[in-house]
Amino acid sequence: MSTVVQMPLRTDYAERLPPDCLMSECGTQQSVEPLVESSVESSVEPSVEASLELRTDALVNLNAATLRLPGHCFGPFSLRLQAGERVAILGPSGAGKSTLLKLMSAEYAAHSGEVFFEGQVLRAWQAADLARRRAVLPQSHAVAFDLPVSLVVSLGRVARLHDPDQALIVTKALQLAQAGHLAARRFDTLSGGEQARVQLARIFAQLWEEEGALLLVDEPLASLDPGLQFDLMDAMQTFSQARGHALVAVLHDINQALSSFDRLWLINQGRMQADIAPDADAVPTLEALYGIGLRTVLSTESHPGDQGGRRRIAVVPYRRARSAVVATSSA
Amino acid sequence: MSAIGSGQAAPTAAMFSLPNGAVALWCGMAVALCAGVLVAAQFGAVSVQPGDWWAPWNALHHWLNVDSSQAASRPSGSAHVLWHIRIPRIVFALGIGAALGLTGALTQGLFRNPLADPGLLGVTSGAACAAALSIVVLASLQLPLPMQWRPYLLPLSAFTGALLVCFVLDRVSRWLVPGSIAGLLLTGVALNAVAASVIGLCTYLATDEQLRSLSFWTLGSLAGATWPLVEALLVLTAWAGWRTSLLARQLNALALGEAAAAHVGIHVNRLRTRVTVWVAFVCGFAVAWCGMIGFVGLIAPHLARTWVGPDQRRLLPWSAFIGACLLLLADTIARTLVIPAEVPVGIFTALLGGPFFLVMLRAMVRQRGLQT
Repeated sequence: MSTVVQMPLRTDYAERLPPDCLMSECGTQQSVEPLVESSVESSVEPSVEASLELRTDALVNLNAATLRLPGHCFGPFSLRLQAGERVAILGPSGAGKSTLLKLMSAEYAAHSGEVFFEGQVLRAWQAADLARRRAVLPQSHAVAFDLPVSLVVSLGRVARLHDPDQALIVTKALQLAQAGHLAARRFDTLSGGEQARVQLARIFAQLWEEEGALLLVDEPLASLDPGLQFDLMDAMQTFSQARGHALVAVLHDINQALSSFDRLWLINQGRMQADIAPDADAVPTLEALYGIGLRTVLSTESHPGDQGGRRRIAVVPYRRARSAVVATSSA
Repeated sequence: MSAIGSGQAAPTAAMFSLPNGAVALWCGMAVALCAGVLVAAQFGAVSVQPGDWWAPWNALHHWLNVDSSQAASRPSGSAHVLWHIRIPRIVFALGIGAALGLTGALTQGLFRNPLADPGLLGVTSGAACAAALSIVVLASLQLPLPMQWRPYLLPLSAFTGALLVCFVLDRVSRWLVPGSIAGLLLTGVALNAVAASVIGLCTYLATDEQLRSLSFWTLGSLAGATWPLVEALLVLTAWAGWRTSLLARQLNALALGEAAAAHVGIHVNRLRTRVTVWVAFVCGFAVAWCGMIGFVGLIAPHLARTWVGPDQRRLLPWSAFIGACLLLLADTIARTLVIPAEVPVGIFTALLGGPFFLVMLRAMVRQRGLQT
């Protein structure tokens, strides 16, 4: 929560980035360049010592991390996430949102640059230790062998060798994810939305008694009805707020991102486009990102944990004239 | 036992009802198994008298009282058949069946698929292929091996063959169609074909004597059972069962998918390597001692999953147990169907298992398509 003050509220990286690197070699000289430190255009530009200090106390710190997958280049990403912060990752399909999440979850190792988690290089973490400090909700929910729901949820705690309260925590996590009634079912017999809730409960169980840890969720609300979307977003918020967990979510719904997160990371074509606050100033950047028009509505909803005076907004998307869309996307 | 009682007692009762149920289930199965062993021992080419069962006690009794007459203590021929041929063979069938059931459950957990089976995927034929190579090629090379190492050569080469197939299977099926059962089974088909052709080549090159032992591999038979072999088998199977039961929790997490398993704290590569080596180890000695016996590793975990659920902690022991019962049944039928001759048990299990596999495949495709 303190980061919003430390970080410049709006940093537009786009014009400083080299041209789109898709299908081309990732220039190593570009990726080594520390983007955040050099491109900050405000008076509170941190000195080198200050940035080092920040690096150690940040929960997650991506230091010019790049990733090469066949046919695609991602990054360099230079980002910091403070403990307890709530960040939504937005961007068009295929922009690299999930890839960024996978870089942070250690599923992919950075090709160059470095990813730090709690001050330590992410690669150096033991899997079992890491599992107690960060939980990941993947996009696909497939589970082999038709496991019982309670077993699926308890698997979130498999890294703990001695776990006397497991049964109780599993029950509570299921209730928090609005899936208490599913405990006795088999996972394969559940509908898509029910499976999503059970997987969310598994994430809750994984970090139930931890504090100041990290939740990474990839489109957690994609297959749910609107009522459940609100319920589960609230569940995620109360869960992470009560424990001081940071929450990073890949989202498709702009309004969910605007209504309950502290910052937005906008990704396009494998690059970080902007790191902005979810206020009215973000609307033009979002319009450019998706190539759509957004009509702003003032939201009456205020969120627990918000800083005083911030006005939450909501937007209504509409289709722009085709020429305008083409102009924005080619720019 | 029962959950009837005050609200306070109910959770405790619920907590203990599962172990009680499990204990009752295990006791019931153990009794059924003993009855099965008794029945299986009764059938055979030589009929067994009730008195033959006491032959060891009589022998022990006479050994303790050395002064009694030798003539009275001499065991009858049927007692010898019972205690030195039939009982070892029954225990051997149980041990091999347990080993096959265990490898089946482990393979299915490893590949996250209920249609995986060491036989179908070519692991057993890889082991048999390596064993055949060691019979034919190593024998012609006249290696200067010490005599006491000879018995270990065959299990060792079978283990190497099984290990090789496991790793090739893992690599190739990943590279071919990642995460799909079709890719996995088709890779198994290819590996089976390669192994069959190498075994065929060995058959072509073999001498008459080698040919006889080669046909034993390809058909699968438990006729080689002797007490020392049975003891070795029981020790190795129990050891493998104990070591792999420690991996059961992690195998459960693997059902979430490899990425998610890593996220909940499983060292996925290490787990995969361990399970693979154990599968190859158990397949290796099972194939080295009784040839290729197919489909037990497919049917046993399937039945176990139907009865006790998919939790690997219960599935592994139950799968071993059901495998033991299945192979005892199959071997008893194979022994007694055409007395005094006997059918190789591998033929029998394949006859039963092929249609069973098709039924399972149909059920699975109906449920969720071939892709998962």
